[in-house]
Amino acid sequence: MSEALRFESATRRFGGLVAVNDCSFSVSSGELVGLVGPNGAGKSTLFNLATGYLAPSSGRVVVGEEDTTNVPPHELARKGLSRTFQTPVFFPELSALDNVLVAAHQELPLVSAITGAWKRESQHQEERARMLLRRVGLEQRASVDSAELSGGELRMLEVARQLFNQPSLLLLDEPTAGVAPHLQENLAELIRSVHEEGVAVIVVEHNLGFLLGMVDRVVCMAQGSVIADGTPTQIHDDPAVIAAYLGGPK
Amino acid sequence: MSPLLAAVITVGILIGIYGVVAIALNFQYGEAGLINFGVVAYFAIGAYTFAILTAGPPSETALDQYRWGFNLHPFLAALVAGLVGVIFSMISGWPALRLRGEYLALTTFAFAEVLQSSLVNVRAVTNGTSGFAGVVQPFRDAVGNYNLLILVAALALLLFTMWFFQRLVRSPYGRTLRAIKGDEVGVTASGKSPEKYRREAFFLSAFFIALAGVVFVIWLTLARPTSFGAEITFFVWIAMILGGEGNNWRVLAAISGLIIFDELIGALPLESVEAVQRVNAGQIFLTGLLFVLVLRWRTPRAGAI
Repeated sequence: MSEALRFESATRRFGGLVAVNDCSFSVSSGELVGLVGPNGAGKSTLFNLATGYLAPSSGRVVVGEEDTTNVPPHELARKGLSRTFQTPVFFPELSALDNVLVAAHQELPLVSAITGAWKRESQHQEERARMLLRRVGLEQRASVDSAELSGGELRMLEVARQLFNQPSLLLLDEPTAGVAPHLQENLAELIRSVHEEGVAVIVVEHNLGFLLGMVDRVVCMAQGSVIADGTPTQIHDDPAVIAAYLGGPK
Repeated sequence: MSPLLAAVITVGILIGIYGVVAIALNFQYGEAGLINFGVVAYFAIGAYTFAILTAGPPSETALDQYRWGFNLHPFLAALVAGLVGVIFSMISGWPALRLRGEYLALTTFAFAEVLQSSLVNVRAVTNGTSGFAGVVQPFRDAVGNYNLLILVAALALLLFTMWFFQRLVRSPYGRTLRAIKGDEVGVTASGKSPEKYRREAFFLSAFFIALAGVVFVIWLTLARPTSFGAEITFFVWIAMILGGEGNNWRVLAAISGLIIFDELIGALPLESVEAVQRVNAGQIFLTGLLFVLVLRWRTPRAGAI
């Protein structure tokens, strides 16, 4: 199976702190992977390296066949690398529907705004945005100002927006944080269905009950390094993971 | 012509000219969130470029200090003036647009101050403190009341500016700008470059502000450094804040109100210098008070808090 994403000795330093230390692993196309580890292990930094928000101090990031080490984040997003953030990112001045439509692409946006050429695509794009809102359970909230949505709804809204451009790889940063238990079940179902469509998904999550029942593979990080990589059962019983993250009887 | 009609025409021209500047600023700030405290610079660039391009060669007898007059056709000169406004916005925007919020505000303000100082000192181009008098007025002989023609031109430019920016605001382009104002990182994650949008918004506004400067200089036939101080920037800013950023009609109403207020006070029959000073001080006080009251009681836009 071809690779969706590969880290090659990726390292990121902030001054004296090594947030990500010589990380090497890859994710295959269509794979569903969990990324776990204690706070400060470097999970979010690794996400930022993968999506171009940070450049590695050394090492490489490869997406598909391409070395993306110095590609800016918006271009990576265009190439099908989509992500969400630990704190949901949304646009408070826009309705829920318009929040999703921000991801809609226009050829030469300024020119098409002046000539009105954008109208040709707009109906099709709006239908897709409504379909995605339905998929995340927000179809009733489409015209509501996003500033009025709850924390859990904002997370779902962000996922809907990040699915708009049919990514090949989706990175979710703590998707269940602040989401009520009954919605977490919807979220798990959504992630599974996205995965079944052939999208590779990496999920950073502390909610292990949520994560381990869903993924086939788990990567565990601690202090910037990958300390374990295996099936949920292997990770659960790994002494290094227990010592660094899970805790429990020694 | 009756004095009243003349006054109404003057007010209309001022509303047209400053209206264009306010609408362009409202696009920069209200939609794109760019704080530009150097508005007057683009206005001055438009006015001076037009004056220089249409000027004849310098004369020895008039003690002209400028070296180049181009005798260009006024229509061509107006278009070039708009484009020079854009070029200047690129030069000033290149370092400034990497900055956010108050840093952008300070940088644009500094640029405007540097420009005003250059207007005084780069005499070979700007003719120093004397500037340009007797700027070309196209169709001067074709109409009896020239100010009426200026009024039509100013209002036409205003209507076009409003139509143009309204068209952008209602398109996906405007949606992206509002998104950038809310959260840049999210726009990046959606596959769009906030820098590109910010730059375009900045350049486009500069074009319209420079055109307003052209109408201004044709009307006054005079381009002097003292006409382009920071007070123009703040006048337009106050109108935009009073009207509520993001809403063109209300911003237009606010700037009209301020201009009418200003003209009414100017028309007061004052006898002594002291009376003039008192009224001027009172005017500044009232404008300031109004500003404070509006800021205290206006309703914030969604997401502003």
